[in-house]
Amino acid sequence: MVEIPFERVRLDNGLDLILSPERSAPVVAINLWYRVGSRNEQPGRTGFAHLFEHMMFQGSQNVPESKHFAEIEKAGGSLNGSTWLDRTNYFETLPASRLELGLWLESDRMGWLLPAMTQEKLDNQRDVVKNERRWRVDNQPYGDWDERIQEMMYPSDHPYHHSVIGSMEDLDAASLEDVEAFFRTFYAPNNAVLTVCGDFDADHALKLVSRYFGDIPAGPRVPAIPGRTEVPRTLGLEIRERAAQDISLPRVYVAYRIPAYGDPAHYPAAVAAHVLAYGRASLLYRNLVRDRQIAQDVVAYAFPIVVGASMLVTWATARPGGAIEELEAALVEETTALLDVEERDVERAVRLMETAELSMLQQPGERADQLSMFASLFDDPGRINTELDRIRAVRAEDVRAFAEEFLVAANRAVLTYVPAEEAS
Amino acid sequence: MSALDRTVAPAPGPPRTFRAPPVTRTRLDNGLEVYVARHGDLPVAAASFVVRMGVADEAPGRAGLARALAELLESGTRRRDADELAWALEFAGIQLDVSAGWDSIVVGTTVPSARFDEAAELLAEVVREPSFPDGEVRRVCERQVASLLQRRKDPRSLAADMSARFTFAPEVPYGRPAAGTTGTVRAIERDDVTDFYRAAFSPTHAALVVVGDVDPEAAVETARRHFGDWSAPAGGAREFRVRPRVDRTTVFVVDRPGSVQSELRISDVGIARSDPDYLAIRVMNTVLGGAFTSRLNMNLRERHGFTYGARSGFSARRRPGPFSIGAAVGTEVTAAALREAMQEVRTLRDEGPTASEVDSARDYIAGILPLQLQTVEQLASRLAGVFIYGLPEDYIATYQARVRAVPVEEAARVARERLRPDRFAITVVCDASSVAGELEALRLGPVQIVSAEEEAPAEASS
Repeated sequence: MVEIPFERVRLDNGLDLILSPERSAPVVAINLWYRVGSRNEQPGRTGFAHLFEHMMFQGSQNVPESKHFAEIEKAGGSLNGSTWLDRTNYFETLPASRLELGLWLESDRMGWLLPAMTQEKLDNQRDVVKNERRWRVDNQPYGDWDERIQEMMYPSDHPYHHSVIGSMEDLDAASLEDVEAFFRTFYAPNNAVLTVCGDFDADHALKLVSRYFGDIPAGPRVPAIPGRTEVPRTLGLEIRERAAQDISLPRVYVAYRIPAYGDPAHYPAAVAAHVLAYGRASLLYRNLVRDRQIAQDVVAYAFPIVVGASMLVTWATARPGGAIEELEAALVEETTALLDVEERDVERAVRLMETAELSMLQQPGERADQLSMFASLFDDPGRINTELDRIRAVRAEDVRAFAEEFLVAANRAVLTYVPAEEAS
Repeated sequence: MSALDRTVAPAPGPPRTFRAPPVTRTRLDNGLEVYVARHGDLPVAAASFVVRMGVADEAPGRAGLARALAELLESGTRRRDADELAWALEFAGIQLDVSAGWDSIVVGTTVPSARFDEAAELLAEVVREPSFPDGEVRRVCERQVASLLQRRKDPRSLAADMSARFTFAPEVPYGRPAAGTTGTVRAIERDDVTDFYRAAFSPTHAALVVVGDVDPEAAVETARRHFGDWSAPAGGAREFRVRPRVDRTTVFVVDRPGSVQSELRISDVGIARSDPDYLAIRVMNTVLGGAFTSRLNMNLRERHGFTYGARSGFSARRRPGPFSIGAAVGTEVTAAALREAMQEVRTLRDEGPTASEVDSARDYIAGILPLQLQTVEQLASRLAGVFIYGLPEDYIATYQARVRAVPVEEAARVARERLRPDRFAITVVCDASSVAGELEALRLGPVQIVSAEEEAPAEASS
């Protein structure tokens, strides 16, 4: 469909550099993936990878506090960072003439973050992150669903057992010493992928990157992900949990353990999620929302996570007055209908996925993030151009076989939310 | 290259000028405006059909009708029922995005450009021949009622709905929830939907915007083929005046027991899209709360850690829409956060922005334009705005220069004139028992406690 051109260079200090020029618009996107996420956190320090991400915007040796945002906004750029189970990424899109500004900022915090760290900054960002947790989780209907589902789906010593945002107690416990140790362990050129996409000359960019990042020393070998990373292919039983909250409509989540992202067996699961709930002709939408009218909304999502096993999460919200037990039964029944899925359902899903992929790749920032992701997770940035082929290769029989093995009672976690007044 | 000095930010490289993509505008014989722009480097195209009527044009007793209509456009046509329509679209890799805003309804899609003609044909079918089956009208309205029930439990939605209600006088459409109330949505009948459709959907008051990997002449031809033989008379937009609900600052405490955060909204009647000070106000608002490094966010987040983020914005509509400051703050710091936010407003009003702040704000707003036009759907959306608000044809092309021409004194003047901290409607969705006393003690104005379950009496607002 489209071919995203790129070249890949490794600097002497181990920095994995990907350059993908595309000169139709005068913008340039810089994207860094550090191979560290909540999966790397130690017991008692849940949420730390994300708190650390916040500290990366608090200035570094040569970048005064608040200057990181200020410089980029004044340049007419946008920026952010995000933390996820498997990684932490940092990115900015800038006018093409300001490539060097972005490289200066990113290299300074990769190499010289610690001299700028203070207790005051840590305390401030701890408060910000605790408010982020309240905003996303504690003050939000169904806001703790992913936290609960992760706890149900992974054993307590698995790195995906706890959520990215972490607990208030662990956030309170984080210290400046933790910041220093985390930085020295994970924030080094040999644990990062740097991708630049957009309007630039590749030779010039390589010179600039070498200039700004070349003298940052490589860090020590990154320690193995803590805990038990291998899990059986399926759960082996059904796990159930019920939560009472201040909500108006009950909702049921049904999650299944599936092969990790990158495993060839993952792709039928990704397609299955789209067959189930992507679009108005999807199985769950047409049956539960439109025909039977027992669901307010339906969702299905296969997590692109790589350690041990991933999960396919489905959910449905009840209509007012609807019984949640009936909705759960219907959700499971329609999901199980994948055992007999027809080729046309799979084709519909794949065509929508093709359009979505094409639309997503329009932005240099998205291209850069994909290139960083494939390099970081699979050591193969070229998968940006071949991943759709893996999706297209999925046939109805593959989805049926997937359903037969994984979409079974002994492989699911069921989380039900009911209004607090009904539960008491 | 010389030795690297890390202590100073690198200077810009040679500037690469942003050129807005050329736009052709063609008026078909039936009145339909067709905007076409070639854009991007991928084989992808966006098409948006836009009408100039929206939520603000609903009859008061039928609030929520525009949203229902938008949803119902995908419920079937004279040729296909809802399921057949979904299959016709999605088997071709096409999804529609139908949305009803205050001033417009937009039916849009982004598709591989090889499928553009197919997409245009289906788009025309949806726009010209909706069937609004009875059963679907009931289903869609019941689902909308359920989503209104959900909004009452979601603190951000609740804050948005309540803040609008306390900002505008009862008869002003902008004070109603855009999705209506349970009472008005339940009252919607199929005839209401068809009447509103007939009033809103006419080629004489509509545009088709096509952006992406397309040949402009061929795109106009495609538009003519699918829309050229359509004729339908248009109804009139609803006329109304906008006035605020309060004439002195008032604090409305919306009780949501057990909240661990307070959703704060500080609001006033703001500006119309046609306001001559529009750009100066954008510059001024960027200093106040339009960006990360704005005063509000630097104070409430980066200095005090009260919130994950604080923002402000003027929602410019056909008539003056709301100005609003928003932040979700910790329960125990609610009063302190409100005090700081009010102080920032007063300081900016009284002292104006500094020259350096105005400089940064202009650079930011102007510089970010190319980033906001990276995708075909982003440019299509901008062009839709040009059509909806009757902006000059060179609006996008001249935007950066006009932003950079806003003088510091103008930014100071609009801060003085348009920030009115003595007549704000302040909405706080919170655990009232923990917060109300401290809010009283701020002495900003009268404090009223409102139940979260209480809906606006929309029937009264006729």
